[in-house]
Amino acid sequence: MTIASSTQQICFLVLSAGIVIGSLGVVLLENIVYSAFLLGGVFMAVAGLYLLLNASFVAAAQVLVYVGAVNVLILFAIMLVNKKEDLKPIKGLQLRRLLSGGVCAGLLALLIRVDITTTWKLPGPQAIGEQATERIGEHLFTDYLLPFELASVLLLMAMIGAIVLARRDILTNDIGTGESVKPGLIEKANTPLLIDKSSP
Amino acid sequence: MFALSGYDAFLGFLLISAAVPILALVTNKLLAPQSSAGERELTYESGMEPIGGAWIQFNIRYYMFALVFVIFDVETVFLYPWAVAFHKLGLLAFIEALIFIAILVVALAYAWRKGALEWS
Repeated sequence: MTIASSTQQICFLVLSAGIVIGSLGVVLLENIVYSAFLLGGVFMAVAGLYLLLNASFVAAAQVLVYVGAVNVLILFAIMLVNKKEDLKPIKGLQLRRLLSGGVCAGLLALLIRVDITTTWKLPGPQAIGEQATERIGEHLFTDYLLPFELASVLLLMAMIGAIVLARRDILTNDIGTGESVKPGLIEKANTPLLIDKSSP
Repeated sequence: MFALSGYDAFLGFLLISAAVPILALVTNKLLAPQSSAGERELTYESGMEPIGGAWIQFNIRYYMFALVFVIFDVETVFLYPWAVAFHKLGLLAFIEALIFIAILVVALAYAWRKGALEWS
């Protein structure tokens, strides 16, 4: 039993409206925490769109990776930022807005042109529904094997890079030049988990 | 054309689960007496009194846990199609998946050795 097409239409409209409004909120809201949570909502709505397009695996990956991991990373990054700074007025704001508005209008015109000129209804392959994940697995382990294994190496590199950056191991000499590193770069070995601002 | 089956139940579940927080908050707003006296305005009304603002800086170590989580999250996404197509793929794919996991175990071992998994 599948969902009727009118229900699909309603779902599509609700999800699209959610994406548009949520994205506007992400950009326009003053509080960055609200923006981050709204971004999670937008990612969820995008996952819903993937489901409507019969891509259940992509939808699951979207929820797992984007909502579960990337959005959490963004929230953690916000938690690392302490200060609520008052934003200074930027020089030449009108000009900047005009320029970015022009670029956005150009992009919009391009997208509208693509939308009009493309023939969307092509007799593509039949949607395979639940078999899609299995098919992805078969392709991943036969003709996309090397990218698959390279992905693990990429993940390894990301992990090591993240740990090196986050730990900032005490290197007294620069690896490239051999010069001694500024003492300000060396982090204290035992920093508390919660940086208390009230204590001196 | 929607080809996935069983998602009508999912849609119903989604609607009901979306209704739960909305109904809980709305009934609370309608039925509960409104007052802001005493300790009503506290974050945790019958808990400890919060000290300072909620906007504090956290240590970067938390970020590292999140990063390690992201890595293994992505690994799960990669391994799921393999698990689904396991019967069709056979021994060679099993060895390939083992290589994939082994490379990531190296990453885990590195994180472990560097103390990234410890709270200290």
